[in-house]
Amino acid sequence: MSHSIKLWLVVLCLFLAHFIMHVGFGLGPVVPDMLTIALLLAAREIGIGWASGLGLAFGLLEDSLSVLAFGASSVAMTMTGALGATTRNLFVGDSLSFQLSYFILGKWARELLHWVMADEALRLPFLEQVMLNGLLGGVYVAAIAMPLMVLMGWRRREVR
Amino acid sequence: MAFRPEPEHAEGQRRQNLLAISFFILALVTAYIPADMQQSIAWSVRVTTLRPFILTQQWVVAAKENAAEAGILRAQLDSLTATVSSQAGLLDENRILRDLLDLAERGEGFFRPATVLRSGIPGSESMFFLELGSGDGIENGAPVVNRHGLVGRILEVRQESSIGMDWTHPDFRVSAMLQDGRTYGIVENRRGAFREEDRLVLNGTAYYETASDNTLVVTSGLGGVFPRGIPIGRIAGIEEVQGQWRKAYRLWPMVEPGSVTHVIVFTNRVPDNLDQLWSDDSLSTVEKETVERRKP
Repeated sequence: MSHSIKLWLVVLCLFLAHFIMHVGFGLGPVVPDMLTIALLLAAREIGIGWASGLGLAFGLLEDSLSVLAFGASSVAMTMTGALGATTRNLFVGDSLSFQLSYFILGKWARELLHWVMADEALRLPFLEQVMLNGLLGGVYVAAIAMPLMVLMGWRRREVR
Repeated sequence: MAFRPEPEHAEGQRRQNLLAISFFILALVTAYIPADMQQSIAWSVRVTTLRPFILTQQWVVAAKENAAEAGILRAQLDSLTATVSSQAGLLDENRILRDLLDLAERGEGFFRPATVLRSGIPGSESMFFLELGSGDGIENGAPVVNRHGLVGRILEVRQESSIGMDWTHPDFRVSAMLQDGRTYGIVENRRGAFREEDRLVLNGTAYYETASDNTLVVTSGLGGVFPRGIPIGRIAGIEEVQGQWRKAYRLWPMVEPGSVTHVIVFTNRVPDNLDQLWSDDSLSTVEKETVERRKP
């Protein structure tokens, strides 16, 4: 199976798993933000334009379920996708520390952008959403994404 | 994973940048278009792409409910069957008398039961979905309650489903009074540093009126959104005092929205006064259950 097909299958599985866990089973923050993992994985592979488009599509889906802050997720995910794709020009390496930072900061940036875009009266306190949920969520995202990359053979291939 | 730099072809790079800018502008547009349009987009996505996931939650909630309460329901059914079979004659007599007096059935048609569905997505903490809509007689602003008291109200109604907000939403306001009607005020949500610190506050009460701890606060019916007599919470101390003219009281909420799975939504035929629906003895019973549940 080609690398690109494998990547899109993983993105599709993460997308399905995210909504089945969060919406279908109503597990909320117990499960990681797999939509952000999917976006960050894809953003390193596709161009900045398509990464932004994928982010917008994911963001719109999330916004449809959080009507009170409509648009916040769309903007946050679009920008996260664009930033993720931009790192391809800035960092070509594949070290463990880079990849850990990439996922942690990616999730943190997504929470920060969502916080900025959400209405002041509706958003969670900065300390809770950005500093706590953002950073802990980032670690959680990285803890899922890294084994996934090893499992898919993407890290091994780069090390060679 | 192939971490390649962006294609060096200038034309391809320019196209990608243009695409990114277009998508970003589109994202900004979705954030600032009128609320009606936002709701229409959200609605379309929910009934198409997200429909299977929302249906899954309905099935999961129903399955959990069936598994957890099968024994209790069987016991209640047995008791009810015994009661009904022994009171069949009484029911007939009651029906004939009510017909003679031309009385309507008690509580007929002014509420609908529903299962609460939550999306579990960031930004949707204070809202829920219900599989009830305008076809069931539900209107915008309809009160949502459970056996403990007030849960919230309906925000948006479609033909077959609706969206509601619970009292943890920062825009939540309800005109309220002490149960004995001595003091009136507005109950609102106060945000804490963390969501767990959110609390209900009875605000705008007169300085010289005193409400003792544990006094029940109910909806006053003023403003016409909520009927009178729905329990909201109990006084748990003074929250703040302004000069010598206003006091605000902290409340112990009757309902913990996070644990609510089933609710009742009042239809457009709800009477103005509901204080007979929540009698003191039944309230104290459910409060005992809540206290027991909070114990570690």
